[in-house]
Amino acid sequence: MRLSIINGSPRGVSSNTGKLLESFTKGFLETEGNSFEILHSIKDRPDFVTEKEMFLGAERLIIAFPLYVDAMPGSVKELIESLEPLKGKNPSLKLMFMTQCGFPETHHTRFVERYCEKLARRLGCLYNGSICKGGCEGLTVQPPVLVEKVFRKFYELGKIYGETGELDTVTLGKLAHPENLTPENLKQVIPMVNNFLWDGLMKKNNALDKSFDKPYGGNL
Amino acid sequence: MKILFMNGSSAGSDMNSYIRSVMNSVEAAGHEAGELVLRDMDYSPCRGCFNCWVKTPGLCVFKDDGDTLCREFLTADIVVLASPVIMGYPAALVKNALDRIIPLIHPYLEDVGGEVHHMKRYKKYPQLALLLEKSGDTDEEDIEIINNIFLRAAINLQSSLKFLRLTNSPAEEAAHAIINN
Repeated sequence: MRLSIINGSPRGVSSNTGKLLESFTKGFLETEGNSFEILHSIKDRPDFVTEKEMFLGAERLIIAFPLYVDAMPGSVKELIESLEPLKGKNPSLKLMFMTQCGFPETHHTRFVERYCEKLARRLGCLYNGSICKGGCEGLTVQPPVLVEKVFRKFYELGKIYGETGELDTVTLGKLAHPENLTPENLKQVIPMVNNFLWDGLMKKNNALDKSFDKPYGGNL
Repeated sequence: MKILFMNGSSAGSDMNSYIRSVMNSVEAAGHEAGELVLRDMDYSPCRGCFNCWVKTPGLCVFKDDGDTLCREFLTADIVVLASPVIMGYPAALVKNALDRIIPLIHPYLEDVGGEVHHMKRYKKYPQLALLLEKSGDTDEEDIEIINNIFLRAAINLQSSLKFLRLTNSPAEEAAHAIINN
């Protein structure tokens, strides 16, 4: 089985999206004879020549991106616009999406997921599902046990995909947990993210005392 | 009121004159109307480095027109995102502009109605409105998808979505919807 991937993360190779894809493809490659190719589209804007070639030639394609302001990053929207002339040109393409967000709940990604499903139809392709995952900001600073669990699930999803050619709905569901947070979870998670992730990063940059700076006007 | 039009249309589009008519009506009613013609501005896409949150809080590392986008957005009472619908969503020009205004909010999370969203950096933020021009392939489902996404984006931008309107109604009606509650 041959899989094509477009990593649409503006952070490119070193992105959280890239790390999750790495686990997925590791699982995918467990089946003998499977291979994949990957492009980092941020490097190829604004013409996306290689991405367009990939779209036309692929049998199976995943377009992956992080959630930016509740949707695809602007640079991924550029990519989508560049695919407009290719509508209907690869009707047998099995098109999938992967969206991850920094918010702890996967729920935030469900609105752009609906856009993606419609996009597959608009492009005249076969929609083969979306991988949605919350809680992905600061994968590098989260406790290794938690991070390993996430990577493990992406590996398993990739492994089953490599064997069956389908995104396994049970694994997708496990991966998406938690879809929402309970009031108790919210009380725990919010201070944890604010203190460990954001304060930690600000401290590292000697910027904690400037955390609430208002460069566009202190009175605003 | 100060109303900012972020014009995401292309140079030859009829939408430019439509926006101009809406602006004229808004001004005739005694309000201030400003326009950012996005295609004439120079701003790179957000690269997700988060320096605007953790290194130089409130300021993007890119020295380009992103600075103007932030300043004008913050000082408006209403921001009208005026855009064609391309491939079922507002133009990349508009999305790139929105991605670049995240320095205006704070990275800290808070509980908003049982969901995690971002905290404010400033006291006051503008209301958002969408003025969209349909393309040949735009249907009702697209508009609903866009509306649902922007209802959520507005929460994260410390705003609210005043309306989503299409450019197939008279400019005076759009102006009326902008300046009236």
